[in-house]
Amino acid sequence: MKLKRLTRAAVLAAMALGIFIVELQLPNLTPIPGVKLGLANIVTVFSMFLLGPANTLAILLTRILLGSLFSGQVMALAYSLAGGLLCYLLMLLLRKLLTMKQIWVCGVLGAVAHNLGQMAVAVVVTGTPAILVYLPVLMVSGIAAGLFTGLCAQFAVGRLEHTSLFK
Amino acid sequence: MRTRSWIILIGALLLVSLAFCFLLLGRGASGTVANIYQNGVCVRSIDLSAVTESFTFTVSDGARENVIEVAPGRIRVLEADCPDQVCVHAGWLADSAAPIVCLPHRLVIRIETSAKAADGIDTVSQ
Repeated sequence: MKLKRLTRAAVLAAMALGIFIVELQLPNLTPIPGVKLGLANIVTVFSMFLLGPANTLAILLTRILLGSLFSGQVMALAYSLAGGLLCYLLMLLLRKLLTMKQIWVCGVLGAVAHNLGQMAVAVVVTGTPAILVYLPVLMVSGIAAGLFTGLCAQFAVGRLEHTSLFK
Repeated sequence: MRTRSWIILIGALLLVSLAFCFLLLGRGASGTVANIYQNGVCVRSIDLSAVTESFTFTVSDGARENVIEVAPGRIRVLEADCPDQVCVHAGWLADSAAPIVCLPHRLVIRIETSAKAADGIDTVSQ
């Protein structure tokens, strides 16, 4: 069922991209770069547990590359890639540790890892370590936003894992 | 791991982060000199306490521009041609330890105790 797998991954990538672009239209709540909901994380967590690591990596990279092109924020590509890949690596590990009832944890820690990766690149790119004062704020916002997206993924997985789509 | 262990782990992470938030940002800035960094190099230093009249100037690296407004005791990014406008929405920076950051333009404005620019305090503003 190669076609089914491909279609599933493509639909999820399109969903992630749509969510990402819509979220960009929301105004920033804080003057701190990097504080955001990260709603596309729902798709990453969901696919990590229902589609597996290979599909998830493809979905994630598609969303990041096309997302930065579609939004015109090509400058932000380095931040997104660093955050996305660090988040992905941590999720690979968490996938082995978490039960299907603990998927939300993956959302929280994934968001924190994402913000850490972004911050690391921001320090290197700006050459100004002083912006590290925002790291704790990014950790708190990552935990809060990750809890939300993680729970969304948890509920979505709960509803869909026994349907014929994901057998 | 049990769910309770994960909750404790995340709760601890949250508490430590919150503590550092207050530690790092709760106190104000210690100086009155606004240092403007681009690509990690301080391009201009302005003693905000010596400013008597508002003025604006542009920081440019050739292609990208931030228009910066300086007023007595405070500084802000008035305009920028970056896509996210986070630096503009940050508003005035006066005595806070939280810097203004424009990531797309690699620009950071911080309040510090001493001038970090190569040519010292900007004399135009005196």
